[in-house]
Amino acid sequence: MTDLLLRGGRVIDPASHLDATADVLVSRGRVVSIETAPLPPSAIGDARVLEAEGCLVVPGLIDGHVHLREPGNERAETIATGTAAAVAGGFTTVCCMPNTTPALDTAALVHFIRLRAQETGRCRVFPIAAATEARAGERLSPMHAMAAAGAVGFSDDGSVVAEAALMRRVLATCASIGLPFLQHCQELTLTEGASMHEGEVSARLGLIGWPREAEELIVERDLRLNRAIGARYHAQHLSAAGSVEALREARRRGEPVTGEVSPHHLLLTDAACAGYDTHAKMNPPLREESDRRALIEAVAEGVVTILGTDHAPHTAESKEVDFAAASFGVVGLEGAVPLYAEALVESGAIDWPRLVAMMTLEPARLHGIDRLGLGRLAEGGPADITVIDPQRRWVIDPQRFETLGRNSPFAGRTVIGKPVLTIVDGEIRFDELACRNAPVAPSAT
Amino acid sequence: MTVASAETSMPPNSRAAATRGPRHLLGLEGAGGAWIESILDRAEAMLESGPVAAAPLAGRIIAMLFLEPSTRTRLSFEIAAQRLGARVVSTAAGSSSVSKGETVLDTVRNIAAMGVDAVVLRAAQAGAAVAASAGLAMPLINGGDGRHEHPTQGLLDLLSLRRSLGSLRGRRVGIVGDILNSRVARSEVHGLLALGAVPVLIGPATLVPPSLAGLGGSASATPIERCHDFDAVLETLDAVVMLRVQRERAAGDSIASDYPRQFRLDRRRAGRLRPSAPILHPGPVNRGFEVEAEVADDRSRSLILQQVAHGVAVRMAVLEWAVGGPN
Repeated sequence: MTDLLLRGGRVIDPASHLDATADVLVSRGRVVSIETAPLPPSAIGDARVLEAEGCLVVPGLIDGHVHLREPGNERAETIATGTAAAVAGGFTTVCCMPNTTPALDTAALVHFIRLRAQETGRCRVFPIAAATEARAGERLSPMHAMAAAGAVGFSDDGSVVAEAALMRRVLATCASIGLPFLQHCQELTLTEGASMHEGEVSARLGLIGWPREAEELIVERDLRLNRAIGARYHAQHLSAAGSVEALREARRRGEPVTGEVSPHHLLLTDAACAGYDTHAKMNPPLREESDRRALIEAVAEGVVTILGTDHAPHTAESKEVDFAAASFGVVGLEGAVPLYAEALVESGAIDWPRLVAMMTLEPARLHGIDRLGLGRLAEGGPADITVIDPQRRWVIDPQRFETLGRNSPFAGRTVIGKPVLTIVDGEIRFDELACRNAPVAPSAT
Repeated sequence: MTVASAETSMPPNSRAAATRGPRHLLGLEGAGGAWIESILDRAEAMLESGPVAAAPLAGRIIAMLFLEPSTRTRLSFEIAAQRLGARVVSTAAGSSSVSKGETVLDTVRNIAAMGVDAVVLRAAQAGAAVAASAGLAMPLINGGDGRHEHPTQGLLDLLSLRRSLGSLRGRRVGIVGDILNSRVARSEVHGLLALGAVPVLIGPATLVPPSLAGLGGSASATPIERCHDFDAVLETLDAVVMLRVQRERAAGDSIASDYPRQFRLDRRRAGRLRPSAPILHPGPVNRGFEVEAEVADDRSRSLILQQVAHGVAVRMAVLEWAVGGPN
């Protein structure tokens, strides 16, 4: 494995509060040194030099919320294609959701994911395991066994754990294991037949509406249940203003609870559904401008601390049907960085270091993989590194995505900022810097 | 997309319409008042002239693609097409390939590929007509798509109202019942707003939610009124449209057993309406449930049978507009 030198970039490591122009030297899968002073040739040796001037050099990005569709729906995505999309989007680690076929609800299946990821994956993959058998919301899954097999959290994502009694057992089990529970917040009796946000647009389109309260009720209920239990509770893909309000209160009380937002909820509203565009159909649905602003505000305040794309690839035929019948979801990995930057940095809500923290350190802590050194850039730590050109202007074209999914409401959007180099465990897995960097001849020592 | 339909549903002599490909009628949302009036004028002329002597659509084939049960709308379209001299091919729910798992879009594309001159589509899914019209080479007429729109029903109700009241500008038209789940109500609201009338949406809070007030969009000049107390507004209405309460559908969960007590148009309520106020119902009527039989059958007030006749005339006008251009 060639040694690498990332030279002259703006190095940001939220864990150590580093934000400075520096050189990063990588050898044998580890970060060897981070130096703000120019390295002497002897230190560089025969390392391949990559000029990162004008770029951000950050810990490898972590997406704690993706759907890789394997096993069971390999026409929509596989671990190979989903992780290729991940590295193209600057991610070195993803956590995959258990709503596969069959659901990820046994230790054997957790092993299967890890093995497939080793064989075919382009980045690190950590499985999130189902909290209930078959994600059916009836009986606890073998959570201890799945934790031992390598699961880093529990969720029935795609489905809510609906029953309060079962929810309490899930939270208690999570607390005893020390892994987080990730809730898909959807009160089912409020969403029967619903396919988009309940409001003026749904009224006009004649589509059954999905009220905010469907999400808010579950967030509030879960926070209430968890108060006596103290599990690490994480509310996924928040969409509604009332949800972040509840989260704000719980965090003010010091409870170990977190929330996540996705690019689409930060940038789009239910107006995108006009014309019955099924690419704007997602669960939870796109809401109104006031919700969108509340989510951004929650990020700015530090109420919402984690960014997750909810990357949800679907086959074309499951989207090329009428709106009510179309699948919910949007692909997220390959446009995430500039879309988050537009929503959060360009808008002035937060700065780049905070954005990086929300995509690295914060999800790493949630899933306990910070203990592996992930989510930070430290001498001696694993060389998972992402280089972002914050000025690069490009047009999102799903036809050129690595993911098998083409379902993006952002197709044709001009965005600014692009991951240009993704290093996983010291190995370059995605490289758009290459054209800028010719190999440097070994210098005399 | 319904906004795009507004462009294609401009008057026939519009150059823009002529250069924008086939003339679809997907909904009344965004349709201009002038275009609506021109269709109503043409329908009225057809009503008065009786059978069309010339057959403007002779040699044309119109496909009636009814993927959801319908008797009267399908027959009305078929009669309209035949009166214009067109030939009709027809398929009904249950017999279609949609029941074999084919999507609505594929079904429409297949029928289109067979070489018809227009498609009339009835489907259970909101947005089906909008989606099916994309890239379609021939006109598509929405014969009702889920809870979204039923534009020809809206037009025929406007025709009935206009013939009864004259100009609709400033007129208060009560629409009573399950507004939330009604495609007829949506089309009527858009049509009434385009003609300067005031839609008054009347029904239980569960079926007339606040979101409906925004149906007209911000561009609407006249407001939409919402009301949960029928008795309070009876005297103020210039006309009343009683909707069928679809007890078998979602509305069933949203209405209580006292619905008729609050919203049935019985003799007492009919007596409090202005004497000039006509009573409409898009049918089929739940006799005794939303309208008392005596009221429905009162020829001096009830336009229910006239509406059916107007339906054929309006659909003739629409088909002529959509298909009647040079071959």
